[in-house]
Amino acid sequence: MAFTPSPFLDPGTHASANNLGILQLRRDQLIPAILSPHAESDYAEGKVENTRFGSFPHSTLVGQPWGTQILASVVDTGSRGKSKKRKRDGNDEGEDAQKPDAKEAKRDLVKAATASSGFAHLVPPTPETWTLSLPHRTQVVYTPDYSYILQRLRVRPGDHMIEAGAGSGSFTHASVRAVYKGYPGQEDTFNGTDDTPEEAVGVTKKRKRSQRHGAVYSFEYHEPRARQLQVEIKAHGLDPLVTITHRDVYADGFCLDDSTGPDADAIFLDLPAPWQALPHLTRSPLTSAALQSVSTDPSTPNPAATSDPTPSQPFRSPLNPLKPIRICTFSPCIEQVTKTVSTLRTLGWVEIDMVEIAAKRLDVRRERVGLSEEGVRGGNASAATVQEAVQRLRDVEGRAAVFHSLQKEKQEEVMKRAEARKRGENVGEIGNGKKKDKVDGVPPGKQDRLEKVKKELESRTLYKEGRLVHRTEPELKTHTSYLVFAVLPREWTGEDEEKARKKWGKK
Amino acid sequence: MHSFIRSNTHVALRLPSGLFKIIEITPNTSINLGKFGTVNSNLILGRPYYLTYELLDKDDGRAKTELRVVPASELHAEALGSEHAPVAETGEETADGEAGFDIVGEDGKVIMRNNRLTVDDASRQKLTMDEIEELKKAGTGSGKDIIARIMASHDAIDEKTSFSLAKYTLRKSRKYLKRFTAIPMDVGVLTGYVLEKEAYKIMELREDLLGLICSWANVHCGATTRVQTAEDGASQIGGGRWLVVDDTGGLVTAALAERMGILYPDDDDEESEEELAEAVEADQQQNGHTDAPQEPKPNESDTAMPDADAATVDPTKASDPTADSSHLLSLPRKSPRPHIPQMSAKTNTLTVLHPNNQPNLSYLKYFGYDYGAPVPSHPLYKHLKSLSWLSLLHPEDDPQYDEPELISDEVLATMKSSKRGTYYRKRRRWERVKTVVDETRAGGFDGLVVATAMDAKTVLKELVPLIRGGGKIVVYNPNVEPLVELCDYYSKERRAAYIAREFGPPPQTPRQMNGKKHKYDDDAETNDSTTEGGFEEDDFPLNPTLLLAPSLQTARARQWQVLPQRTHPMMTSKGGAEGYLFTATRVLPIEGRVEARGHHGKKKRKVGPEIAAQP
Repeated sequence: MAFTPSPFLDPGTHASANNLGILQLRRDQLIPAILSPHAESDYAEGKVENTRFGSFPHSTLVGQPWGTQILASVVDTGSRGKSKKRKRDGNDEGEDAQKPDAKEAKRDLVKAATASSGFAHLVPPTPETWTLSLPHRTQVVYTPDYSYILQRLRVRPGDHMIEAGAGSGSFTHASVRAVYKGYPGQEDTFNGTDDTPEEAVGVTKKRKRSQRHGAVYSFEYHEPRARQLQVEIKAHGLDPLVTITHRDVYADGFCLDDSTGPDADAIFLDLPAPWQALPHLTRSPLTSAALQSVSTDPSTPNPAATSDPTPSQPFRSPLNPLKPIRICTFSPCIEQVTKTVSTLRTLGWVEIDMVEIAAKRLDVRRERVGLSEEGVRGGNASAATVQEAVQRLRDVEGRAAVFHSLQKEKQEEVMKRAEARKRGENVGEIGNGKKKDKVDGVPPGKQDRLEKVKKELESRTLYKEGRLVHRTEPELKTHTSYLVFAVLPREWTGEDEEKARKKWGKK
Repeated sequence: MHSFIRSNTHVALRLPSGLFKIIEITPNTSINLGKFGTVNSNLILGRPYYLTYELLDKDDGRAKTELRVVPASELHAEALGSEHAPVAETGEETADGEAGFDIVGEDGKVIMRNNRLTVDDASRQKLTMDEIEELKKAGTGSGKDIIARIMASHDAIDEKTSFSLAKYTLRKSRKYLKRFTAIPMDVGVLTGYVLEKEAYKIMELREDLLGLICSWANVHCGATTRVQTAEDGASQIGGGRWLVVDDTGGLVTAALAERMGILYPDDDDEESEEELAEAVEADQQQNGHTDAPQEPKPNESDTAMPDADAATVDPTKASDPTADSSHLLSLPRKSPRPHIPQMSAKTNTLTVLHPNNQPNLSYLKYFGYDYGAPVPSHPLYKHLKSLSWLSLLHPEDDPQYDEPELISDEVLATMKSSKRGTYYRKRRRWERVKTVVDETRAGGFDGLVVATAMDAKTVLKELVPLIRGGGKIVVYNPNVEPLVELCDYYSKERRAAYIAREFGPPPQTPRQMNGKKHKYDDDAETNDSTTEGGFEEDDFPLNPTLLLAPSLQTARARQWQVLPQRTHPMMTSKGGAEGYLFTATRVLPIEGRVEARGHHGKKKRKVGPEIAAQP
């Protein structure tokens, strides 16, 4: 079987079976699904995603180009839970395609019939869409935070990265994308032309000893979470790039059990007590003095956990010895930050910087104000201008005046008639003709106005009326976490300096 | 790539003031650090980044200026020291009865001094301006002496609270300490540097927003991405290719390239140790040519020339259908050095659209890529493509797109070598332009990143159709208004109206259609749908059905000071443009009227048919 790269990294042109696809219903409503039309299912159509915008059998998704608008299908959701017989009987759509055996239906699915309404879009998974749709197990690191973190950590293709506190895996996915530089073992086959000319030119480039592929080393001390993440990573085709280890990094550090250390260039710690993990992130074994100052630090509540460098084993650093190492810790509370920063200072990290990210999304809408909005959805029916208000007042006053004069007239008439009756005269029907005249002169009443608005609405273009405004989204994340950044330079000994001095010695 | 300082690269030196000085470091040259003096570049070449150095000069008894690495413990001494003895200062002068302005513990120890008695008066500093100047001239050491003297001659240094004292010391250190830190030149540092000096040149784009752009554009390394073609068999779909409109002088391009792994010249870090060792034993003289990144240079400059002496160069390239290699084989003379076709990569590429003849990508020079004279060994040479708006929209009007006359081998053999060179150069330029233009027009890009002062709607009108389904669109603007307007063109009300107008009657057989085809039609022949209502352009400048979930967002990193018991956000920071991002996903709408489902409130809307009322 041909190797299929993860849809996160190289989605291909179409959604394919047994890969992750995302059904986007609304901006923030996304349904992730491993597309498996032939999986065991109670539905005649095979596996189905049921949403409030309709049902989408996987068979209608697989093979579609990414980004396609998918129409909902008619799926008999009602009889699913009932006996298989009932289900088969009660289906009017693909009756002829029905097979008596549910197992056989796996191969011979009912062709889904397009419903009259409802749709969704089939989009390829990205760390962003995954972050919006993943099953929450812990607090999620959202896009504004992880994008800034990865930017500041200068994570580049081919880098190795340590992530501790994998949590729900949103950061894991984002960092895999950042370090990805092909799968291990998979060379630039498609870009074979890439290398040849360079060599032909005679660029005296030594064969690289080992092409460094990006890798993420993820640690999680909560075992079910670690296992769940492992399952997800595998399902997403990212398992060759991510190593998930279930471990308490405070106690056991970051070196893997087999001798291939993480050799990390960047570190992200989403832990409750990052300062307890920091002593494991050094280039050389901690001197007892340093260890002392870290562990006697009154802010470290559990010194026992940190001062456990397992003296029996030879020291191994989880860090890449050749590059400056960048770290980011992610802590919601300021007290955690203070402790982390002072530990970083003690351990020789430099360029220490702490920031918080304030991100917001904006809603854009059109604000329509005016008396003509009366009874129209989404409009504000107060007067748009002073003039409009004055006109309305005049109308009201005018109506009142007419009304009063009418009343008066009526009264007079009644009086007259009464008098006439008294006098025994015959009373004609004078009122009718008069009424019509009245209506003409009277300013419009509410009923008239509403009718008029309704009529005009037919020809209005609401999408471009009113004032274009923007405002912050209704629910705001005002604080996520504090981000502490630091850099650990390469180790530089007197010996190294001597060498460099010789090489670059002044002539 | 940033394991140690290599020659002929750009390095950012941070001075105590916090300002950066960016230099291109070459061996045996002196680096001018302003008032701090000069340093020979050999003193920092080959050393690791992020070390802080202190200048030791003749005043410290050295014959020449030397550098001392300041250990981290010394850098943090202040912060750490005050932490381990946070409040233990015994103010003797205040112990006697003057309680009331200090917070005194039960044992009479001053727990917290306050600033009630602080005298804000410059006269409390005994040293005059002139005396300080003299001290500076006398050049006492690394500046620590000056600071010590200044502190000693402050009248009321003990009246200061410990915090204000720390602040005072810091301020003086910034001014007088002769230190600098060598920082690798990367996109973040460049952003900070330009923001400080000429923010308008990069559209005031901050690093936090750059991070957001890269994430939302889903930019990543696509070096091993499959090359896949669309149903027509010709146009490529995906392949790790992004379209860019960049008015930030190349900063956005650089940020994207960094994420794609094509920004930095391909140096092998692991060689460094070996190189060092070799260098020590072997060479002395040509020190410019000894280290790894240097070596390719001589060859490169030769191969960069082929445009000049093209007779020796083979213009064939695998991807080029028109090139005919046979006539080249007949060329005798020098052994042919193969030509590396610029912009020839098929995957992991950036295609920059530019409004002028040449793109402005000047900031790429900090990463070793000079657009005017690119070095073939730089990854951007093959992976960065560019074309002008004219070539994209009207290639027939672009003279560079016209095929130069093909000259037969016989005729060619009789020509002067310079003429032949010109001929090949022209051919090759045409091949390059044609390949890039044709590839771009065929579309199928993975995403579009726009940071331009141009009207975004005109940009999106042309470029959105070139993005593949599921591709990402990101538009940056320093101001919100242009993007608000853009969002409005994609509002659900407008989309509903658009669909109602385009496909009035309810659907019979909805058929899948890519908006791209639609757009191309109106270029080639007058398409009925675009010309019918004359108001089309104004009301629907963009096809609102091509983008899904258009959103507008912004983010800002707020910096904090973290010191023991003095942790708070920075008091000041840079204002100016807030910076906003418009993001969306390109989708392939079903042509025809599509009825949405779902609950949109109780009332059924009278107008604005219930189509596409989702997101």
